[in-house]
Amino acid sequence: MKKVKIIAGISWAFFCLIMIIILFPGLNSFSLSVSKLPFMKLNPRYTGGEIADQVISKSCTLDIRKPVFNGFLKERNSGFVQLDWHGTIPEIIKDSIDYDHDGIKDFCILIDKKNSKTVLEPIDRKVKGVLISTPTSYGWAVRIGLIK
Amino acid sequence: MTDSFILGLSSGSACLATCGMVMFPYLMAGSAGVKRIAIDLSLFLLTRFVIYFILATVAWYFGQALFSNPVVRNIVPGILYIVFAIMLVWYSISKNRNPNCPAKIVKTVNNHRLVPILLGVVNSLGFCPALFIILTKGATQGTLIQSYIAFLAFFIGSSLWFLPLPLAGKIRKKEVLTNIGILATGLAGIIFMIKGLTNLIGGIING
Amino acid sequence: MDNVLKIEGMRKSFGKSLLYTLPMFLITFMFMTGGKPNFADTASALAMLIAFLLVNILYFLMHYTGKTDRYRAVLFIIFALSLSYTLIHNMVEVRKSMTFSQADILECKIPFCHLVIPMMILPAAFTKSIIFPGSIISGFANISSMVVLWLVATIVLGRGFCSWGCFYGGWDDGFSRIKKRPVIKKINELWKWMPFAVLIMVMLTAALSMMPTYCSWICPFKAVTEFEQVTSVESATKAGIFLSLFGGLVVVLPVMTRKRTQCSFLCPLGAINSLSNKITPFTIKIDKGSCNECFKCVEVCPLYALTHEDIKAGKVSLFCSKCGKCVDACSQKAIHYGIRGIPAGTMKNFSRNLFLFVSFLFMAIFSAGSIINTLHGLLKLIF
Repeated sequence: MKKVKIIAGISWAFFCLIMIIILFPGLNSFSLSVSKLPFMKLNPRYTGGEIADQVISKSCTLDIRKPVFNGFLKERNSGFVQLDWHGTIPEIIKDSIDYDHDGIKDFCILIDKKNSKTVLEPIDRKVKGVLISTPTSYGWAVRIGLIK
Repeated sequence: MTDSFILGLSSGSACLATCGMVMFPYLMAGSAGVKRIAIDLSLFLLTRFVIYFILATVAWYFGQALFSNPVVRNIVPGILYIVFAIMLVWYSISKNRNPNCPAKIVKTVNNHRLVPILLGVVNSLGFCPALFIILTKGATQGTLIQSYIAFLAFFIGSSLWFLPLPLAGKIRKKEVLTNIGILATGLAGIIFMIKGLTNLIGGIING
Repeated sequence: MDNVLKIEGMRKSFGKSLLYTLPMFLITFMFMTGGKPNFADTASALAMLIAFLLVNILYFLMHYTGKTDRYRAVLFIIFALSLSYTLIHNMVEVRKSMTFSQADILECKIPFCHLVIPMMILPAAFTKSIIFPGSIISGFANISSMVVLWLVATIVLGRGFCSWGCFYGGWDDGFSRIKKRPVIKKINELWKWMPFAVLIMVMLTAALSMMPTYCSWICPFKAVTEFEQVTSVESATKAGIFLSLFGGLVVVLPVMTRKRTQCSFLCPLGAINSLSNKITPFTIKIDKGSCNECFKCVEVCPLYALTHEDIKAGKVSLFCSKCGKCVDACSQKAIHYGIRGIPAGTMKNFSRNLFLFVSFLFMAIFSAGSIINTLHGLLKLIF
């Protein structure tokens, strides 16, 4: 029994040695395999949610994402909807948005890029306020707070 | 609901460390098997549940009467959270906890069936800082249902610590679990202190 | 008949030490150069050479002198400093600031660190998603590669990751060596369970708020890496907490106690790594036959992993990070590196050699990139 334990211990130690030796050369392929696991995707609270609609205009494209209410065990009462403007953004952005695709505009947004000012005019009572409004590497992003 | 559950979970260990130590020998006494202990424990927890239900109702109505002004509704609870949170951190330091839990008095009761019920009453009405915090929370909820939900989350969090009691004889290193739980109580106090400060600053700004 | 106690030394001769260093020499050369050494850029070549010599000389000295901790600590501390330099330098170059903005969070450009892992577990299990604004597979410090690195290291080394892999541990390890004698000699042993309490609280709060709460509110190493722009009372409070915890737990207390107080009293990942000490093959063993109960090992242990009761019982607690300080301090060589299954007091040299190779190799390769980067930056400044 004592001998078995010794052999098992040493074998486990050598196996660990091999794991360390192949870890770094194989890191890219191990990472790729791990990235394919079902839980290895970013939560919509961080990605902003899937793109639900696109509004293409002359100089830029507006992505209207799906509202995000994700919680831990169930959906939360409060969430947000993210808007992304890509391309050559004009100095003043003025858009009326229907985020839930019911044919009725839910809010109007005005962004003054130069003065970094964002004004929200809620139309639907579910629209609460501006959570984030910021320039990004691709253009401009805004998150509007919503309640269910 | 989140913070109520965390408060219950973290303070339940301190509760177990003092009051549970009275209940445990009672549960283990005689020829009590796991089934008997589980029944007694269920009676104990049910009693706590009923008491918390009553407390949630009383706290909410009390809050409606006192905190009608929205600014007072933020500032006063903010101050209370901070005070009770400091007490909770102080309470988590073992030498500041009274080792003589009031539940000891229950040992003098002869009727076996009454003991878990009386223990439940004494335990849930043991006015510790965690209970003060949850009472404050219950008083400031918008609706009675929200107050019930807060107390329910607190009840669930604190009760989890009592669930392994029927198997406690088999669990080694109870002291380690108690130590971790007591430290977590202190951390929960800090969380509520930050919550209290946020409420207070929000109330002052809005006022 | 004389009853002489033979103390098995760990020192090797010069030739033998060179022989033991040869595999490390070859493997680190392969990794640092990628198999194709490029000496076109003088500063890069020099940086690589210095890093290469540094790691191999330290490893050689471990074998030649028979001492572990002092040479491990040199590389460990340099790793921590160089990683901070690399991160800060990158940020200042790209963003002109040590802070990250809301845009960086929205675009998921935050580098991932292993301290996030405890907070990921519950949300990953229940929501099948990662609650961190980073990159899953591409770019520097992406989530997948950091998870793989940590997972393998923790299975192989257990809590040894905290002394041979963690790129933050070098900070409090370094500060704990400044004074020759501790000013504060005793701290309540209860505090060493704090990391478990912190682990439970951050796991719960992160899951329920869907936010990595330790990173957002507590991590002391934000003070030497990157943190959120101060634009509100909340972000100012957070910055205050980071700086206070860094000052207190990473600088002041380690200096006063000569212990690694951040690792001992706060780090939730240390708590998880302590649990993985149960599965790693490498351990620290106590040969009760040789031990004279001087308790020098208890005095020098930086992580409160040893107590008088532990020594008398002949076992080391799960807080042990296998740093080697106790092994170096023991005059009787009673406390030594071991392998699970091998009885204490036997095959000491074999166990030590195998453990050192595995752990030092991991640290050398893991740290190489940031050390070379830092040296390159410093050389460019000088020349």
